[in-house]
Amino acid sequence: MRNLKNALPWYLFIAPASLMLMALMAYPLFDTLRLSLFKWGGLGPQTFVGMRNFSKLLGDEIFWRALSNSFIFAIVVPFVTVSVGLFLGVAISRRMKGWQVYRIAFFIPVMMSGVVVATLWANMFEFNHGLFNTVLRGIGLDGLAQNWLGDRNVALMSVMLVPIWQSVGFPMIVLLAAIEGIPQEMHDAATMDGVNEWQRIWGLIVPLIKPVLASITMLSIIGAMKVFDIVLVMTKGGPAFSTQVLGYYLFETAFRSGNFGYGSAIAVVMFAVVFAVAYGYVKGVRIESVEY
Amino acid sequence: MAVDRLTSQRTEGSVEGGKTAGWWAGSSLRPIIYGLLVVGALIQVYPIFFLLMNTFKTDTQILNTPFSLPTNFSLAPFVDVWTGERTGMFFGRYFFNSVIVLAATLVLMLAISCLCGYAMARGQFPGNGTLHQALLLSLAVPAHALAIPLYFFVGSLGLRNSLFGLTLVYAALGAPFTIILMRAYFMHLPVELEEAARIDGCGRLGVFLRIVVPISRGPIAGMAIININWIWSELFFSLILMNKADVRTLPLAIALYKPAPMTVETVLGLQYAAMAIATIPVLILFFIFQRQIASGMTMGAFK
Repeated sequence: MRNLKNALPWYLFIAPASLMLMALMAYPLFDTLRLSLFKWGGLGPQTFVGMRNFSKLLGDEIFWRALSNSFIFAIVVPFVTVSVGLFLGVAISRRMKGWQVYRIAFFIPVMMSGVVVATLWANMFEFNHGLFNTVLRGIGLDGLAQNWLGDRNVALMSVMLVPIWQSVGFPMIVLLAAIEGIPQEMHDAATMDGVNEWQRIWGLIVPLIKPVLASITMLSIIGAMKVFDIVLVMTKGGPAFSTQVLGYYLFETAFRSGNFGYGSAIAVVMFAVVFAVAYGYVKGVRIESVEY
Repeated sequence: MAVDRLTSQRTEGSVEGGKTAGWWAGSSLRPIIYGLLVVGALIQVYPIFFLLMNTFKTDTQILNTPFSLPTNFSLAPFVDVWTGERTGMFFGRYFFNSVIVLAATLVLMLAISCLCGYAMARGQFPGNGTLHQALLLSLAVPAHALAIPLYFFVGSLGLRNSLFGLTLVYAALGAPFTIILMRAYFMHLPVELEEAARIDGCGRLGVFLRIVVPISRGPIAGMAIININWIWSELFFSLILMNKADVRTLPLAIALYKPAPMTVETVLGLQYAAMAIATIPVLILFFIFQRQIASGMTMGAFK
């Protein structure tokens, strides 16, 4: 009884957040799981269809296209951004001359809204007057001018360039902080051992920042899995579904075609995939692991 | 530890007053690395410069001479998209919609998150550990997976096409992350002041409002800064919840940019002006709060 009396004020403290999260996160999540077993047009009765939405997914070529494109996104984009981010972080660490300028230059795009960035790049990719083709034609490489967003063999690559351009600054800034957190004594010891800069990077810096490297890679993978804005603005999943991704296919299925049950099944798959990656991240990475 | 990064002045102690020539001072790779950095920085900055310059150019100039600088710096395109008189696109209104949603989300989210994080750090009550676990798990849930039920739920509350409805959704989406970080911060906060106030007969809420919140202004502001970016840029929920033109937020209005046909001679120039309206406040904010933003991002990744 006494315990309960002590606990009561605390329950009042957590009540607003708990109620909101129950209503706007927990309930929708469970309702997505439930709806994935129904056929529903948004109005009228919901028809229970069991696992039929999921078996339909198995034979749905667009779905497989979306899933594999999402995986390609989640592999290529983080790999490039984290590698380039690591290079940048190492290159501008130790307060090298002009590091502030580079830090700002690479970080500004991170702050911009995805829609703006996507619109800007869509204009630059435009076939007749876009910046890229104008440059290529201007230097006589007309043959390399592409229909960047309209050619199904090129479109996915073009679209992936955009989050890469936008987000390299993010791993850079995080890895820079980790690299600068390495105690000076360790560098001194390495210097006394006579290592060259290459050995310093791979033998000292990278092993010491490995937890941060793992963490930033996971965050990038999760972010890339959820790509939506860029696809909506630049290609709407086309041409011929070559840039279709899970988030956009879910949106189209549910909110454009009105198949809310089938859309929920896509949402469940997306949830499972992202959750599997993110759960490993939340469980595996701890604040303590980045202490020295 | 990670939370300290947000409040402390500089944590890069190991390089304080260190060499400024960088790793590569004596290396033969130095010219190559400098070259890569310069080219990379240009690739990062040029498109933004291109965006800002195009707001002052006519469509013909944008299309035919993309590299030329504007000939006159008239603010007319900004006025046109801001007022919407000729375009039918009211970016002034969309701007304020975005500002209202941003401000309301921050206030609501920070209020519930600080209360909850404080209780989790200080209180001993059954369910505290479970709540923490649940919050960590919720970080792994993609917001897309909630969209369909949220669309109907928000609709059943009559809050579709309402800035308040969008605010509720954003506050809930951002709360778990904010609660977890605020909890970590409060756990590091010395408890003595609060105990003294308790002895003076102050209630839990009184202690929280009169003592804890005032001394935590720094970290609370830091959490606000971290969250500004995604709220300002959010498209997905704005797209599904806001169907009426006059409640659009900036990202949504830019994504759906389509000026009334035949009313304007420049289409692209105005589109660039609209994009600049969404981007310039973020750039200003970035230059003011550079350090906090960088350390906040870092903290999020260390979590």
